[in-house]
Amino acid sequence: MASIDTVTTSTGPAVPPDPPAQAGRARPRRGHGWRRDRFAYALIAPAVLFMVAIHLLPTIGGGVLAFKNLNTFTFSQLFGAPWAGLRNFEAILFDDANPLHNGFLTAAGNTAVYTVVTVAGVLIGGLLVALLLNRSFPGQRIVRTLMLAPWVVPSFVVAVLWGFMWQSDVGIVNKVLVDYTGLLDERPVWLLGPNSLWAIIIPSIWRGLPFCMLIFLAGLQAVPKELHEAAAIDGAGPVRRFFYITLPLLRPLIAVQLLIQVIYAAYQFTIPWIMLGTNPGEHADLLMTLIVRQSFSNNLFGFGAAASVIVMAAMALWVVVWLAAFRRDLEAQR
Amino acid sequence: MRRSVALALTAIAAVLVALALGACGGSDDDNSSTGSTAESASTGSATAEAQSFDGQKVTFWIMNNGPHPVEDTEKILEPFEQETGIDVDVQLVGWDVQFDRIRNAAVSGEGPDVTQAGTTQVPFFAALGGFEDLSSRVADIGGESAYAPGIWGTSQVVGQDGVWGIPWFTEARTIYYRSDALEEAGVDPATAFTDLESMRATLEALKSVEEIGGKKIMPFGMPGKKAFDLVHNVMPFVWDEGGQELTDDNTKSAINSPEAVRGVKYIADLFPDGLADPSMLERDGTQVENQFKGGRLAVWIGGPWVLSSIDREDDTNWSDAARNNTGVAPMPKGPTGEANTFVGGSNLMMFKSSDVKDAAWELIKYLSQDEVQKEYAELLGMFPARLAPQEQLGQQSEDLAAFYEAIQTGRSYAAIPQWGQIENAYKTRFGNILDAAAGLGGEEYSEAVVQSQLDEAAKEADALLAQTAG
Repeated sequence: MASIDTVTTSTGPAVPPDPPAQAGRARPRRGHGWRRDRFAYALIAPAVLFMVAIHLLPTIGGGVLAFKNLNTFTFSQLFGAPWAGLRNFEAILFDDANPLHNGFLTAAGNTAVYTVVTVAGVLIGGLLVALLLNRSFPGQRIVRTLMLAPWVVPSFVVAVLWGFMWQSDVGIVNKVLVDYTGLLDERPVWLLGPNSLWAIIIPSIWRGLPFCMLIFLAGLQAVPKELHEAAAIDGAGPVRRFFYITLPLLRPLIAVQLLIQVIYAAYQFTIPWIMLGTNPGEHADLLMTLIVRQSFSNNLFGFGAAASVIVMAAMALWVVVWLAAFRRDLEAQR
Repeated sequence: MRRSVALALTAIAAVLVALALGACGGSDDDNSSTGSTAESASTGSATAEAQSFDGQKVTFWIMNNGPHPVEDTEKILEPFEQETGIDVDVQLVGWDVQFDRIRNAAVSGEGPDVTQAGTTQVPFFAALGGFEDLSSRVADIGGESAYAPGIWGTSQVVGQDGVWGIPWFTEARTIYYRSDALEEAGVDPATAFTDLESMRATLEALKSVEEIGGKKIMPFGMPGKKAFDLVHNVMPFVWDEGGQELTDDNTKSAINSPEAVRGVKYIADLFPDGLADPSMLERDGTQVENQFKGGRLAVWIGGPWVLSSIDREDDTNWSDAARNNTGVAPMPKGPTGEANTFVGGSNLMMFKSSDVKDAAWELIKYLSQDEVQKEYAELLGMFPARLAPQEQLGQQSEDLAAFYEAIQTGRSYAAIPQWGQIENAYKTRFGNILDAAAGLGGEEYSEAVVQSQLDEAAKEADALLAQTAG
């Protein structure tokens, strides 16, 4: 998480691109270090202390527990439990005979699909809606406000509401698809089997899209009109103007959204847990639901900690890849 | 000047952090019961009679029992508080969080004095080492002989001498049926559910009853993996066939034995044959219960609290037809000649960390009086845990008699610390089997699916049984 924070703050406020006047401003000189910046350190100290106490220490603690043999009989000893070496990691990643191994691979696969589809849906959908709402039309303000509605609904409520909507016999989704419009002949069952992954993906997109749209809308409104006008005079159609003007100018925003959304989706927990229960089943079990279930319901805290470390490493890797891919966009803003 | 500002700010920050951390740590303490007045009296003086409990405070965690958990419990405890002078602080801990809260309290030593716990949780909690062995005190309440064997068994832990949880109230599963539907199908309720075969025949006959009063009705329905108690509803059929959850010595899973496969298959087969409503598998236990109350199911498996809700006007889930035509029958007999059902409920456990153990025991003793048990169980729609009040309640009506009978022969699971985890593993696999049987799983339903899923369940359970402290 720390790396995300530094990255997002270094990109500055989410409004592209900076006015040219600021672009060439020099960085402050490196001065006498400690003494000179003492006041700044004093101001930042509470935040740092707080982060260390409630964020860093538990993270390190979790890292230590990943190497402990923590189960029903030992978890009450916590840090005093016997060391397990790399056994937890081996069991999760390589041991075919261990049922946790299969569970982890299944959940990792589901999480990958969930993340890719959800993030793609949120970003593409958010951009499309932002483009639509960026035009002026009667009632534009009302529509914009309405579009934001899903964002203010807490995830918990989203999961409960959609849980009812998906019910195959009385849910509104099947009523629309089968009874009202006749699009389908048979009532699909959403909350069980392979469909259950879609039952959590669709509400996730529904909830994530408005925020993304809001950011893109702000970005679109900062795109200078003159650019579009000049391009139009040169004979560029709307599609070309989108790909050659709008999209490049939105790249920094897309980059930041991509980073945040991927991490948010990979750590999704509330929606499957509330909608599908403590065990969402093999088709919709995500990494976080698996880790929470095995740790807190089954007392396998060693497994949970090791799996969390693996997920954290994967996310760190994602941040590195992301940085490599978008570094230029972020620096261009300065 | 600047220096002093900086110093002052740092100091303020340090104080703020300390306060915030203190607040975090303190939140758990709200529930602890370290009443300073209590400390002197608790540990020292020997006999209970000689002791005055006046002014002692006992903190008591309960779960959401019945519609008004705290009020009901406080009402029951009023005479006790007046008589003994003990102040009982009743605190509600929801079923959704009680496992974590009780576990944390037992491990940390910061908790209440007495807590309610689910019967199948007792071995796990006891193994944590944070609970008091009550065996030297149980003579006060009549000991083992005052309880049905299946219920007393829930106070024990395999391989660990002692009495860890005193049975408080009890429930068992029985068959609920719609007498109007049975009548229309031409089935006599008296013989409809005597054994597995007649139950199956009854459900087949109920297929002809497609609707009652314009409302569609299915012969049978049960929740799937969303129900926390799925295993309680399936295991009776496994037991009926002679199967077991674990081997006799509790070292290996027995859930993939041929008998167990037959038992699970009996229930699962109801789906492809059109006898069970597949849409119920999407719902949790309470939602399916409401489907029965709403008149969409002719037969359902449930606990005693549903029976007691029939007369409650404020339970609007009941349709008129269902309210007026609900009957209860004991679970069917299997080929072994036994009618098995799951018997569960809640026990009372005393924390080792309690400063007021004698007063805490007075509370448990009071809640174990026959009259108090009967009164409280009736408020909840449950059964008392003790034999004598159970018997009284069982004589009140034919339906209650079905529950009384079920409790006497009811079974619970192996009393080992890992049971909760094993139950979770079984629940997952039972859920997969039912999904497949209803045509909703990834694979096509067959006996091979049942076998392979139960093989997986056994494998997972064996791994859980192999956990060691080393």
